[in-house]
Amino acid sequence: MVIALTATVSAQSASNFLNNIDPLFAGVLARPGNLDNTIQYAASAAAQGDIESAISTYEQLRFYNPKLGATRYQLGMLYYQLGSYAQARGYLQTALDMPDVTPELRQKIEDLLELTDKKLQPDQFSGFAQTGLRYQSNASLGAGSQTVLASGGTINSNFLARPDWNWFGTVGVNYVHDFQTQTGETFEASVIAYDAQQFSLHQFDIGLLELRAGPRFALSPGNVNGLTVKPYVVATGATLADAAYMGGIGGGLTLHAMVGNVSLDPYGEIVRQSFRNLALYPLASGLSGTLSTVGLQASGPIGGGLAWQSRIAYARASDQFAFDSYKSFAADLWLPWVFYWPTPWAGSSRWTIIPTAGVTTWHYDAPDPFVAPFTTAHTTEWRVGLGVEVPIWRKLVLGSLLQYRNATSNVAAFSYRDLAISAGPLIRF
Amino acid sequence: MTLKLHSAALALAIAVAAAPAAAQQVGTATAVNPSSEGTPPGGATTTLTVGARVLHKERIHTSPTGSVQLLFLDKSTLSIAPNTSLVIDEFVYDPASNSGHMLTRLTQGTLQYIGGQLSHQGAVTIETPAAVIGIRGGIGIFSQGAKGLQAANLNGHQSIQNGGGTKNTITGFMVNVPNWNTPPSDPFPIPPDFVINNINNLSSKFGQNGGVPGLNNLNTAGLPPGPWLPPNLGESDALQILIESTKLATQPNPPPQPPPQIGSNIRLP
Repeated sequence: MVIALTATVSAQSASNFLNNIDPLFAGVLARPGNLDNTIQYAASAAAQGDIESAISTYEQLRFYNPKLGATRYQLGMLYYQLGSYAQARGYLQTALDMPDVTPELRQKIEDLLELTDKKLQPDQFSGFAQTGLRYQSNASLGAGSQTVLASGGTINSNFLARPDWNWFGTVGVNYVHDFQTQTGETFEASVIAYDAQQFSLHQFDIGLLELRAGPRFALSPGNVNGLTVKPYVVATGATLADAAYMGGIGGGLTLHAMVGNVSLDPYGEIVRQSFRNLALYPLASGLSGTLSTVGLQASGPIGGGLAWQSRIAYARASDQFAFDSYKSFAADLWLPWVFYWPTPWAGSSRWTIIPTAGVTTWHYDAPDPFVAPFTTAHTTEWRVGLGVEVPIWRKLVLGSLLQYRNATSNVAAFSYRDLAISAGPLIRF
Repeated sequence: MTLKLHSAALALAIAVAAAPAAAQQVGTATAVNPSSEGTPPGGATTTLTVGARVLHKERIHTSPTGSVQLLFLDKSTLSIAPNTSLVIDEFVYDPASNSGHMLTRLTQGTLQYIGGQLSHQGAVTIETPAAVIGIRGGIGIFSQGAKGLQAANLNGHQSIQNGGGTKNTITGFMVNVPNWNTPPSDPFPIPPDFVINNINNLSSKFGQNGGVPGLNNLNTAGLPPGPWLPPNLGESDALQILIESTKLATQPNPPPQPPPQIGSNIRLP
């Protein structure tokens, strides 16, 4: 049907056309000055992912009143979503000068402006750092003292359930180099470091370092929501009780795509791990082998500042000892809820509450002759948690996490419970 | 419903063939600041008002204080800055298949095109004295002045072609084109001052309201939340490490006592 509204048939054709399109859009076409309808159409278009129509309509509203910071903020967000960062920055920057900007809106504008500024740089750094204290009711994730091993032995006292505190520090840094070409390639690297020093159980002092790096290629350059692919190398290392314990190197492939408002990052990687024997773990080298993982990270908005993030992964560990080899499946869900609540002392009003839940199952290849010689272990761990971020000062927040985990296994020695709470200052950059 | 639409389409097609092309409505003026004028082919120049029909082949001209936004049937818009002259030269749109094409001739001044269904098909062209721009899926600002053309790509793909050659741009880049015989410049990131100048230029001026008074505030609290941004700070990775670290440092398979040949059963889940 070719729409061509001629003078002779305009009434009929206009009626047909307007009757068969979105009523809100039809309303804008027929009565653009109807503010209620126009505002509803802008919001509706944005909610449905029709970003261009939303931009058109907020631009229309900006003609009606160019002094509204809220309109400019909406435009800034929409352009950011399209990956049009220069334009987004222009709207956000000018929004700050508008007279209707409330403290909450100013906070939102400044948050997004900071992200936008980073996106406009060829070399982009972002990340976080946190330090704090952590208490665990079962820092060794050990079984109860009454547990008897099927092999007839008793559990090494080092591994019985015992509470402890630790100091921990963690840092994550993401680096992106935008080559600023017309084909959209970037180079990405991320490093995450973690260290924990126990107050009493020093055999469990652990340090971890994980590095991933690789180029990312856009399969549809210019479309920020288009499919991208990134091959990468991964290197990991760990210390235990201040001694080198594990090293790993491997590679993987990950994709990124947006389907509507849902961000999807499937990945697959293979890491060759090498463990060293330690006094506490004299057979640790038996854990050496290949860890292969396929998984999917996904996230999306729910509404009202609430979003969801999830990760599911299937892993296969082929270790030197069959009883150390396993298949595992893990699933975790986070529900971050960001809201703004006045905190006069902080210079920021952004709070975050993050309920979490997860499960991991391990199916070992063979019975452990030292623990349960005739039973192949199947273990399932459930965990729930609640994270809270309280603004302290600007980008500095108090990050706390309460977590309970409960593992049940057909081998009693592998069952445990642990209640952990951690808290400390967290900063993002 | 489909049959009804196709019947109407047939009627329309016949009517279009018999009727003067000048009478075809292609959109609506959704915001108008004085003075902005429209001249339909063969018709008299009139001052545009909010809600006015925009016709095929209509020439639009804005004064030094005038600006206008036009909304087209395919949901695309043109925001037209002061001192701009253009013609909506072609607009054919089939809503059943979302196909057709649009051609706008920009003689002078600045316009912002925000794409609709036609641009998603790559069927939108903007002609200027310095170059012809093909647009796919996007948003662009085009400014034609004494120094030539500036073509900024705010979203999607643009192909800028003239007698000197062709350049393609993606989101966030722009080119300068001095004249028809000089090749477009290499694409470069859109500079901040270009953005700010055009935000101000494509806007109502002091005392203007686009022809619609009464918009005193925009209550964002009542609107759906803005675009959601996927997390990328690695915090979920860190949380995962926090979960796994204890597991790594402890023993899923507790070694029996007494030792010695047992033990090392640490796993990275």
